[in-house]
Order: sequence, then C-alpha cells, then structure tokens
Amino acid sequence: MLTTGRLPIIVVMKSDVNYLSRLANLKLTEEEERQLPAQLDKIIDWVGQLAQLEIEAEEAEGENFTPVDFALRLEPDEPGQSLPLAEVLAMAPEKEGDFFKVPRVLTGK
Amino acid sequence: MPQKLHELGLNEAINLVRSGEVRLVEVVEDYIDWIEKIDKEVKAYLTCNFESALIRAREIDSKSQKGRLAGAVVALKDNIVTKGVRTTCGSRILEHFIPPYNAAVVEKLEDEDAIIIGKTNLDEFAMGSSTENSAFFTTRNPWDLSRVPGGSSGGSAAAVAAREAAAALGSETGGSVRQPAAFCGLVGLKPTYGRVSRYGLVAFASSLDQIGPLARNVRDCALVSSVIFGFDRRDSTSANLPIPDFMAGLELPLDKKQIGILDEDSLSEVNEEVLANYKKAIQLLTGLGFKLTSLSFPTWRYALPCYYIIAPSEASSNLARYDGVRYGFRADSSDLSDMYIKTRTLGFGPEVKRRILVGTFALSSGYYDAYYARAARARRAIAREFQSAFRQVDFILTPTTPEPAFKLGEKQDPLSMYRQDYFTVTANLAGIPGLSLPSGLTSKGLPLGLQLLGPAFSELELFKLAFLLEKTFDFKNNIDGITTVREEEV
Repeated sequence: MLTTGRLPIIVVMKSDVNYLSRLANLKLTEEEERQLPAQLDKIIDWVGQLAQLEIEAEEAEGENFTPVDFALRLEPDEPGQSLPLAEVLAMAPEKEGDFFKVPRVLTGK
Repeated sequence: MPQKLHELGLNEAINLVRSGEVRLVEVVEDYIDWIEKIDKEVKAYLTCNFESALIRAREIDSKSQKGRLAGAVVALKDNIVTKGVRTTCGSRILEHFIPPYNAAVVEKLEDEDAIIIGKTNLDEFAMGSSTENSAFFTTRNPWDLSRVPGGSSGGSAAAVAAREAAAALGSETGGSVRQPAAFCGLVGLKPTYGRVSRYGLVAFASSLDQIGPLARNVRDCALVSSVIFGFDRRDSTSANLPIPDFMAGLELPLDKKQIGILDEDSLSEVNEEVLANYKKAIQLLTGLGFKLTSLSFPTWRYALPCYYIIAPSEASSNLARYDGVRYGFRADSSDLSDMYIKTRTLGFGPEVKRRILVGTFALSSGYYDAYYARAARARRAIAREFQSAFRQVDFILTPTTPEPAFKLGEKQDPLSMYRQDYFTVTANLAGIPGLSLPSGLTSKGLPLGLQLLGPAFSELELFKLAFLLEKTFDFKNNIDGITTVREEEV
C-alpha cells in the first residue's frame, strides 16, 4: 500500500510568522516581518514536494529513525562526577552565590 | 629543509618530528609565521592558539615517547569545544563563550600529541554552505579569494588548502565537510554516523551531525580518522565497533569492484564541467577494471526537502538552550521572557532564525504529521534504498557538488544555497560514510570533487578506493596564487 498526498497549500502570512516566532522566543525586526513570510513560504512550498514521494507501508510504520541500526544503549543509573559548580557558574552572565541570576519572572502587568 | 615546514604534508611532518629530525617547536613557529602573513587574506581563523601551542610543542619535544600525531598541526572548526579556548560556533550568541571542557575528539588528538593551532570560521551554528553566514566575517577560498571556500566547515577547508594547518576537523550535518573539501581541493570524509563521538560537538541536528577530517591527501585523512574514531560512552549514539587499521590496509588490493553511478535524470542540474569530470572518472574506473552500473535512485531527489524539514526541526529544539541564562550573550531586559526573546533575537543571525522558524513550523500542531513525521518516514525510505543499492554495488560514485566554488555574495536566495547539498545530504540522512576526493580543475582553475559513498562502516574500503584514484588523478594541490605571490611580498 502506497501513501502519497497533497500537502495543504500554505500561504505564510505575517501573522503566522509572528506566531512561529513567539513559539521560538524570537522577535522579528520590521524588515524581517516584511521579508520572512515570502521566504518561508517559498521554503515550505519547496520542502512540501516531499508529499509526492510514495512511501511503502513498512516505512509508514512509526517515525522514529536511527541512522544506523544499532540499539541505543542504556547507561546504568550510577551517580558520577558532574562539572564542578565553579566551572558551571564561570560563564554566567550574572550570578549570586551558587545561583544563576536572571531578571524578574513576573512582569506585574 | 628545502621546503618550508608549514608546507609539509601531515604524514611527512609527523615522520620528521617523531624521528627527531625536526623539532616540533620549529614546525609550530613556521605555521605561526605563515598564518600571521596569510590569514588576513584567507580569514580562516576565528581564534588562534599560538602561545599554548608553543608551550605544548616544547613539552612534546622533550618527550622520549611521542604520540602518533606528534608533528601534526591541526585546526578545529569552531563548533568543537576546547577547554579554556573560546568557542563561538560563528555566532554572536557565543562570541565570548569559553567552554569548561574538551570535546572527545580534542582529547583524542591531544593524547596523540597533535597541536591544535586554532579554531576556524564556519557558517553560524553550522547552518550554511559557504561560510558567509558567520556572524564575524567571511572566509575566502585560497584558490580564488573572490570565491567561497564552501561551508559550513569553510574555515577548516581554507586553512588546510592555504597550508595554515596540515589537517583540520570539520563537521557535517548535510555535507559541510565534503562540499568545502571539494571547493578547496581537499580530501574530506563524513564518517558513518556513530564512528566519531559527538561529545563536545555543539549540536545542530543530533541525528545527522558527525565530525570529519579534511586533509590534503587520502593517507593524511586516514591517519586523522584512525585517531578520532572510536566508541565513547558519553555519546549515546556512539558505535561500539572495532576500528580497522586504516594505515596498514590503505595500500592492500581492493577486491570490491562494483560501482554504482547515477543516471542522467539525477544529473540534470549539474554544471557542464562537473558533469564532464564525472564522466571522465567513470571512463577511468572502467579502464581500471571496475564494473560500473547505472542506478535509478528514485528517492534521491526527495533527500533535499527531507533534510530541510528534519534538520531545521532538530535545530529548533537544539538551539532552544541559547537563552542567556547560564552562558553566552544576554541582552538587557526588564523580565525573564523579555530576556529570552531579546537575547535570541539579537544573538542569532538571519539564516539561523530562518531555520529555527522552518523547524518550529514543521513541528507545530496541525503541521507535524504532514511535515516532520512524513520527512522521518521519507528518511527511512531513502536509507532503505541505499541498503538495497549496496546489495548490488560496493560503492556509489557521484560528483560532490553541482558546481565549483561560487563567488562571494552570489547565492542570495536561500533555496539556491540549499541546492548545493544535492549530492551530499543523502549520506547524512542514511547515516552512511561519504568521502570527497579532488578529481581535477575547471577551466578557471577551480577544484572539482568526486564523491564516494559506501555502506555503513565501510571507511576502509572508501579509503582504499580513494587512494587508488588519487594516484590516477594526480591532483596537485599547490595553489600558485596564494602561496607563491605572498612569499614574494615578504
């Protein structure tokens, strides 16, 4: 059994791009807001040609895929040495004691 | 020495240093001299490691038992972490990042007394095929400084081609070692997925990423491979398989003689000279006693769209960690959410953002099944097709790239850049090894690369075939323009 399909025609709107950027914690500049919808539209349309590929039933089973056929190993649950705290904090933009310091979480809005 | 020390091949330099004929310090000093002269033109290096290289060289010189790579001066792509040495990934978001640990490959190289002379430029987070996406500057192709060295491991390729390093490590997700190798006249290998530990390789797409060597000839490439390959329990995808003795096996006769070639359909968008070079190679191989079979590979043309769904999807997940909290750039902000957004917006370049957004789209609710899940299944179909092809043939031969090195600024449209990976992404998707070998020059004097693909873990056979072909092609990787012109100026 072969499955193939037509992907929905996506027209990427500025609102879609804004939604995606919110998901990705990005904010677009005005110029990016102008250019990206068309660029993404083109890319998404191009990758959408994948719909034309006929996929055999056996390939359609599940989507997990490891590039080489060896089973992923499990490690025994033994505590080992972690990175020393001083090294962990060494690159912190801001720290206080043993903690990474960040701006307030709640905006109070 | 009639030749300058930095012009020595990797194996030559190692032989001279290990035998005591030449001091490693002298080799390193010569490299430093040369890099200081030439790198302002080539711009291969982001960070140079000169002081520690000299200190380490003196230590190694005083050792009675030297490692297998004593004499080797190598460069590392700047997405491989080096303890105490800045690692930027070509991005502003890690511009001042100093890793607290060494990558597994760094440990292996240093254990064998290689000198790591510097960190090389790359497309930001390894996303690109020209090194033009680096946040800092663009590296030039030493064969023609108005052209790109390829990408994303462009800095590594340019450094080796310009003799600023004897060999280098790059990384691949979709061809980023093989393509710059082809553009810069070098041998480049993407090992089988799992051969080289990814511990310490900054992740772009974890199911595709692999570190690979770039070198000036097959023997050098094989030597570096024999050091960096190997099981590492810190990488859960590391293959626990023995490594063949590449150096011993290289010159032994090759009994595998069946080579698959692509049919006309798959070659329709290829530059004329690339095609002519490919056909010439086919004739040559036939003359050498190989049996060439034309393969129809119906899934090949879907590899690029498949890759450009899977890789950005994995990237959108892997790059979520860059948030300004624990390391890297942090933007001034009023609250936490603002901090995440501003940090990432200011810290990431346009191509990285584009790919994160494509990935976010492909994984988002309502589109996941049609895009990501479908691409994952397509990937399996592509891998199956390779498995079936390798029941018929021992190797597959293709051009490495559809065209030779293009001009800086030439590919403005993202799709025109993505298409550079046409011949290379299949190997990353299927997890199989691929090697690019210099096979000639274009009428403009630009290098061309031939790609050899083999079944999983067949690197020894690939090296053997490449070694044989290398003798036949007799490719001269002396670049007249850059090495001799600059010498005169000095």
